[in-house]
Amino acid sequence: MIGALVVVVHVALAALAVYGVLLTVLNRPPDAWTKRAVGVAVALLVVQAAIAAVQVFGGVTLPETSTFLIYLVVSVCVLPIATQFATAEPSRWGGAVVAVGAIATAVAVWRLQGLWVPGG
Amino acid sequence: MAEAARATASGPGRVLIAVYGVFALSATARAGVQIATRFSEAPVPYLLSALAGVVYILATIGLAGHGPGARRLAWCAVVFELVGVLAVGTLTVFDTGDFPSDTVWSVYGRGYGFVPLVLPLIGLWWLRHTRPR
Repeated sequence: MIGALVVVVHVALAALAVYGVLLTVLNRPPDAWTKRAVGVAVALLVVQAAIAAVQVFGGVTLPETSTFLIYLVVSVCVLPIATQFATAEPSRWGGAVVAVGAIATAVAVWRLQGLWVPGG
Repeated sequence: MAEAARATASGPGRVLIAVYGVFALSATARAGVQIATRFSEAPVPYLLSALAGVVYILATIGLAGHGPGARRLAWCAVVFELVGVLAVGTLTVFDTGDFPSDTVWSVYGRGYGFVPLVLPLIGLWWLRHTRPR
């Protein structure tokens, strides 16, 4: 885990959540830009997960390794699934579904941060 | 002529299903880890935690499905969920002695921003709102 990247990820997820809620408020279905924004967020999450996985399997010891790895997988998988579900029925509510996915992912990243206690 | 039931999986219902899906995932995964790593510390609460996860899964399936069967499943799961969060919440508020604070329904779901308490109420409202009449 890299502190600066965690901050960037949190900002990206917060922006995505706000964007999603905004779509719902403005009565607009998710568009191509929504998918691009989700793509950027997921790319950041994949990079973060890859770095963390390399660190864990490279010898960094954590107090709760299995829980950490589960959250790592969850942090990457939730947004693509939520976005698929959000765009399956094009309506104003798709944006809110993306926002729920972004918030859930942010919580997972927050938990990851708490579980990242190298050498603990 | 009776108006047909509106699909629970349409419109704002999709947001509700998304939240239920998140809780199904997090409650089940959390209970799984608890049972796998420290089951002997508090077997009953952790089993209850797993049950909560299953109830969220059933509620998600019920709400996302179509037809009277899915609707009945959703009703049962959401009612069970409301009873569960109220019972476990009350139990943990008045007797914190031997009940761990880290299950999804502990202290009315405080560890999850009280969403577990609000979610079944919204679920019941949504099922009522979309019912056949």
